[in-house]
Amino acid sequence: MATTAVPTTLSPHATLKPDSNSGVWGWLTTVDHKRIGILYLYTALAFFIIGGLEAVIIRAQLQGPNGTLVSPETYNQLFTMHGTTMVFLAIMPLSAAFFNFLIPLQIGARDVAFPRLNAFSYWVYLFGGIFITVPIFFLVAPNGGWFGYTPLTTKAYSPGINIDFWVIGLQILGVSSLAAAFNFITTIINLRAPGMTLMRMPMFTWMSFVVQFLVILAFPVITIALVFLLFDRFFGTMFYTTAAGADPLLWQHLFWIFGHPEVYILILPAFGLVSEVLPTFSKKPLFGYPVMVYSGILIGVLGFGVWAHHMFAVGMGAIADSVFAVSTMLIAIPTGVKIFNWIGTMAQGQLRFTTAMKFAIGLVALFTIGGISGVMHSSPPADLQQTDSYFIVAHFHYVLFGGSIMGIMAGIYYYFPKMTGRLMNERLGNWHFWLNFIAMNLTFFPMHYSGMLGMPRRVYTYDSGQGWDTFNLISSIGAYMLVAATLIFVYNFFASRKRGEIAGANPWGAGTLEWTIPSPVPEYNFAVLPTVTSRYPLWEGSEKDAESARINSQEGKTAEELGIILPYSTIKPMIVALSMVVMFCGLITTMALTFLGAAIMVVSLYSWLLSPLEPEHH
Amino acid sequence: MKGNSRLRQLATFGLVALAVLALGACAAEYPNTTFQPKSEFARSIDFLWDRLLLLGTIVFVLVEAALIFVIFRYRRRPSDTSTPPQTHGNATLEILWTIIPAVILIFIAIPTVKTIFQTQAKVAAGALEIEVIGHQWWWEFKYPQYNIVTANEIYIPAGRTVNFKLNSDDVIHSFWIPQLAGKRDMIANRTNYIWFTPDSSLGPAVYNGFCTEYCGTQHAKMRFRVFTVRPEQFESWVAGQQKPAAFGAVASAAPAATGTPTPPQSGVGPEGGAARAVPRPAGSVIPGSDSFPAAAPMTGASTARLASGYTFPDHQPEFAYARPNSTIPANLKFTKGLTGNAARGQQAYSSSACIGCHVITGNPMSQGIVGPNLTHFGSRSTIGAGSFPNTPAYLALWLKNTRAMKPGSIMPTLGKNEYDPQLKTTVTTGGLDDQQIADIVAYLMSLK
Repeated sequence: MATTAVPTTLSPHATLKPDSNSGVWGWLTTVDHKRIGILYLYTALAFFIIGGLEAVIIRAQLQGPNGTLVSPETYNQLFTMHGTTMVFLAIMPLSAAFFNFLIPLQIGARDVAFPRLNAFSYWVYLFGGIFITVPIFFLVAPNGGWFGYTPLTTKAYSPGINIDFWVIGLQILGVSSLAAAFNFITTIINLRAPGMTLMRMPMFTWMSFVVQFLVILAFPVITIALVFLLFDRFFGTMFYTTAAGADPLLWQHLFWIFGHPEVYILILPAFGLVSEVLPTFSKKPLFGYPVMVYSGILIGVLGFGVWAHHMFAVGMGAIADSVFAVSTMLIAIPTGVKIFNWIGTMAQGQLRFTTAMKFAIGLVALFTIGGISGVMHSSPPADLQQTDSYFIVAHFHYVLFGGSIMGIMAGIYYYFPKMTGRLMNERLGNWHFWLNFIAMNLTFFPMHYSGMLGMPRRVYTYDSGQGWDTFNLISSIGAYMLVAATLIFVYNFFASRKRGEIAGANPWGAGTLEWTIPSPVPEYNFAVLPTVTSRYPLWEGSEKDAESARINSQEGKTAEELGIILPYSTIKPMIVALSMVVMFCGLITTMALTFLGAAIMVVSLYSWLLSPLEPEHH
Repeated sequence: MKGNSRLRQLATFGLVALAVLALGACAAEYPNTTFQPKSEFARSIDFLWDRLLLLGTIVFVLVEAALIFVIFRYRRRPSDTSTPPQTHGNATLEILWTIIPAVILIFIAIPTVKTIFQTQAKVAAGALEIEVIGHQWWWEFKYPQYNIVTANEIYIPAGRTVNFKLNSDDVIHSFWIPQLAGKRDMIANRTNYIWFTPDSSLGPAVYNGFCTEYCGTQHAKMRFRVFTVRPEQFESWVAGQQKPAAFGAVASAAPAATGTPTPPQSGVGPEGGAARAVPRPAGSVIPGSDSFPAAAPMTGASTARLASGYTFPDHQPEFAYARPNSTIPANLKFTKGLTGNAARGQQAYSSSACIGCHVITGNPMSQGIVGPNLTHFGSRSTIGAGSFPNTPAYLALWLKNTRAMKPGSIMPTLGKNEYDPQLKTTVTTGGLDDQQIADIVAYLMSLK
């Protein structure tokens, strides 16, 4: 029990590693997927709070007509950074925290396929996130919207440094996402424990698997789009120069071919988490598992065929509008199936309303609203009234806040004990959930009205007498309540980490593989590689499952005692990541920095590749 | 049945909440609502919306009711000791709830595709053509059939189809008049069209228009006004707009009692005469600032005999929503009690930077095409693309420091000793003093 009493996940297992495992250095050099997952979690929560504060300033400005809290320019930076932060620096990395922490545990692996590449992904994300966020504190942040439409973002219309941070920052973050995606795909394909067939994988791993393919197919597109823009801005090419005859819609098509799958990149991991939480607290296996898998895959595939529904107002013509309308409507079917199957999972169960369960049900309830309003703008003529109005803001916040964030919160409450060995406080969790749920609806539901009553998006101010005042005031009050809810969460998180109740290996009575091992998880994850014979080894497993679980649940053994070889800790991935960001910084400062960064990167990359991953096996 | 009574409580609460919201949605004024369509285009969208809302509400109610039912019915009870049935799925159910949404979607898809082809068909012959060109952050409107160029407001006759030809001079903008039609983007190197027929039953009314594609700093203040008028009023307006700028025509406006003489050539019928423009009050008080009476007797009055055609009467309480109410910068002041002289104003205007960006037909010096055409500036209801009411007091402040009034404006700060927030310098040489500005205001306001 000594290990679980340690307040952090820094479990002092002695190792075969030559490097120290504790303290700041331990965190800087770690290649352990669990610790990297926790790094992702903390960093993404920090960015979530920054993005949330940006939103609160936005809501304070719009609380009443003719607000003068911030200047137009500052407002534009705030909404650009709110979107960019929440998409790229909060929700995606929060999902990544779970990819990292959970996938190896759910498939019965010791680590991800490329532990050092994994560390590299994290550090690139951290430095890229800092790079793109710091300018807001100096009011020189990107101001072209998270979608960065050209020609507004070209040098001719945005001569300042603002957009440079955005173009370069997203490019950096793309490296992180792509490296991670290849890593997880390799992990899931190659490192599954004996008996862990694809159709036995937990639903979170399945949805993550789908997401990684979306990443490797969608991110190259935005990368190309950004390379064009970067070349336009820095080297005078004319991909998006309208004066030279460029078609401004090129960017929009490229952006949304990335951007729509991106929506599923943001939501599918949350779907996965909810598909773990609901069965556990219903005491029933997931309803319609194969259909859940196929619908997830179908959503991913169809997600590449609907991008132009973001562009119904650009004048694509009747045929293109019709095609994209129908493909968009089709995607509602697999999404609806997921909702029904979750309800089917709960039906006939014995529901326990823990905080995690409440957030999971919250996703089902709120995502439904976002899904229905989504169908409403799948109809292009109807969308012509809705697009770029507050109705859309309402819609995607029901999807991303009501969906992604609710799901991720469910995941945090559910997996907190696995990460820290302690339970989060349920009473505070209850307050967090209800305040969050009410405030969320208070903030975003009135936006349906303000939008259909004619309020455009992305306006820093509006006249009084337009019929929008009350709705905006309610939205702002809701936003302030969300701050209170988040404060409760943050307090609960840190207080529980220190003083929370000791959890034990399987505090929820869950059925999947990750609950067969101690909490917090020992460095080596599984003392013996488990043999899997069912989807829920702890619920419906055979003798083999039980035997693996019995051995793996034993605590206190070190990797050395078990003869498990673990990879060396190394600082090199971090150095490579840092030097890469330095290299990019040269673009906006001095060329010398680019050469310096490139030189360090090449040297450290060589040094990384030439050093062994782990001690030799004997 | 404890669970049931709680369910009922919840349902009652939900209904009451919805009713309150619905009441709220009817009680107040919603001048930009999409729910009261005023053209066949807007109505066809509204028809689709109604269907989407109905089906959406049914799905919403069924799903949430099922969810709530399951939550209350299957909560764990202390008596639960056994394991619940470990069902893994149910093929019939799953096929059913795949097919039902598909069927619902068919009922959405068919009218959708129909409406797409209907609304994007080629416009019928005889439509009124209006070219719209988006600029950061104002609207240029051209009536090629009538040779009219104007900015930030349009007049359209009720009952006649209008075909808008949309373009942009710089970044992407989007054209939206919520009550009349959906949006259509305005994109450089591409030409888009949107057409609709304002209901012939519409009386003279004004609608707010918005830019709905984020286009930079002042996206929020890229607005325009649409006046639906009766055909004969439109003819009169057209006749007025086709004439060159005729400053001085407004001179007789000072004593309101005399009214504006009806020019025989304006073509205004007896009906149109009733809705004739009332003269603007001579200088309105700006909240938080010094009042500035600018429209004083003008010496140039004798130079022009031409009078404007129909303009939409200002200050009608039922159209108050079309009168901008942005706050003005607190530290922007204008000397009290100055009277402007339109003739001097014309001189000052014609020898200052103004002419580099603006056209005033009738003023041979004023040939710039960067900014809005000002030929009939005095007949417009707003300045700065719907940023402020077009009154002498606001206009004076606008001319003095545009970039303080509308930060980010391309129009530079003109007032002497004023700080230009973009250039980060104070205007010295060439800056206009308050008297010069008052004169220019008098000149511009006279351009009816």
